[in-house]
Amino acid sequence: MSTGRVLRNATLTVLALLWLVPTWLLVVNALVPAESYSGSPHWLPDGFGLLDNMSEAWDRASLGPALGNSLLYSVVSAAAAAVTAAFAAFATVVMPVRRQALWFWVVYSGTLLPLQVFIRPLFLSYAQTSLYDTQTGLVLVYTAIAVPFAFFVLRNYALTMEREIVEAARMDGASWWRLFWQIHVPLTRSAMVAVFVFQFVAVWNDLMFGITMVTSRNIRPVMAALADLQGNYSNVGPPVVLAGALLVSLPTVVLFFSAQRFFVSSLRIHR
Amino acid sequence: MSTRTTDRRSPAADGAPAADRPAPARPAPARTGSGTRERLTAGMFLAPAVLLVALFLLAPFGWTVHRSFFSDTRTSPFSWFENYALFASDPALTRSVQNTLMWVVGTVVLPFVLGLAIACMTDASRLSRFARLCVVLPYALSGSAVAVVWNFMLTTDGAVNQVLTNVGLGSFAQGWLLTWPGNTVVMILANAWQATGVAVILFLVGLRSIPPETLEAGALDGANGWQQFRHVVLPQLRPVSIIVIGMSLVNGLKSFDLIWVLTQGGPGRATETLAVSMYNETFLELRPGAGAAIAVVLTVIVLAASWFYLRRQLDVKGV
Repeated sequence: MSTGRVLRNATLTVLALLWLVPTWLLVVNALVPAESYSGSPHWLPDGFGLLDNMSEAWDRASLGPALGNSLLYSVVSAAAAAVTAAFAAFATVVMPVRRQALWFWVVYSGTLLPLQVFIRPLFLSYAQTSLYDTQTGLVLVYTAIAVPFAFFVLRNYALTMEREIVEAARMDGASWWRLFWQIHVPLTRSAMVAVFVFQFVAVWNDLMFGITMVTSRNIRPVMAALADLQGNYSNVGPPVVLAGALLVSLPTVVLFFSAQRFFVSSLRIHR
Repeated sequence: MSTRTTDRRSPAADGAPAADRPAPARPAPARTGSGTRERLTAGMFLAPAVLLVALFLLAPFGWTVHRSFFSDTRTSPFSWFENYALFASDPALTRSVQNTLMWVVGTVVLPFVLGLAIACMTDASRLSRFARLCVVLPYALSGSAVAVVWNFMLTTDGAVNQVLTNVGLGSFAQGWLLTWPGNTVVMILANAWQATGVAVILFLVGLRSIPPETLEAGALDGANGWQQFRHVVLPQLRPVSIIVIGMSLVNGLKSFDLIWVLTQGGPGRATETLAVSMYNETFLELRPGAGAAIAVVLTVIVLAASWFYLRRQLDVKGV
């Protein structure tokens, strides 16, 4: 082995271990039974209290309803955004629409703005329309936020498709509606899955709207519940908080590693 | 590459600035029926997306811009740029701008350098795959979960102080999140711990698309390892680099979860960035005018930062 190679392997090992330490401590200390946690971090597994810690976190922060809510918000919003954006992408790419550039910018501009710019007006109008603290309200917000990016990805994908198929079907007298569902959607399915996965994770991980647009424990999403749990750090103790963090992260970690291909492709198309 | 150009798009889809271009250049399909009906159908396909975005994003944006010109304190409400002047007079906001600058530098430089280094150093060996997994794993966590993990590392009786005490450097043990600028720096490091993974993934994709012939040609010309990297690999990674930099920049500017869960911008508003300051002013200090002004300033910065890489993205993608 050359010196260069030894050096490289040494660097890699150090970096890998450095990166692993927080993850390792997260898992190890989530495993430590809460009552035997001595006040300083454990570096090696000591007993198995993971399930007890998780159920303690579950009770303390009402993780049950929170997980259910987040599942609802993520699935419905991501799916609704993917379909809505696919409609718009189909219209601007395939159909004869005037002012395509204008419509593109109207929809796309939403993804360039920071979320902070929307939140208070939405908060106020939700308070007035009784959408505040409802599941419908959050689904609407999350869908609206997801649409611009989804549109951008799906439109770019649609631009690279063969147009002849659509035009041939059109000649044969198929309606736009049929064209969309029977030809366009099947052809852009992989991009739609990429968009769905990406937005699912984005909605699941959102904190800001989760702590602003809802207050009830049975409406709030999962990251708001985790933030609440973290706020009680000194009361419930590190093992329970870490077990809670682990529990709420599991769905996205599993999704990320099983759908990494889709994830990367949507990232590469945009940011 | 993500920047693959396509000739398939019609001239009408080629955006340019011409928002008011006349009817699309593409010949209309044969069975058009009446043009009005066609456009009506197209409008129905566009309507859901346009309505959602206009109602939930663009209208609130306009509202926020409008609100930023109205004072929170005075009785005659319209106050020109009074809220924007707070950036000069309010020490909390000055600190927030400083922190935001530190975040921007930290979130661009660290993931870029570390991501590039790790992507270039790893190959198909077992150690490399393990190292990549270690670095990519945190990227699958949410900002809030990362904050929980790093709170555990950084609290007074946390893991970092424990290690320092055990190796005899107990005098360095401190409340990491308590004093500025150290608290901002450690949060930027925590952010880099999470964000480097995606840079690694993107650089690996970029490296895979480099034709091996270019490297062989470089080797034949007698280039050593560093010269190869500097003059052959790096130029070909330019498109990916722009994506990584742009993404990190915008994410750094927008980062909220990590700071909010770790410190809520404290102690004493010392760790706020603009994204957190806006939230604090609006919902905790109850000064929505000031919050709106911060949101507008943040928007301008984010737009400027986006422009830097979007210009290229849009050029190539043909928007």
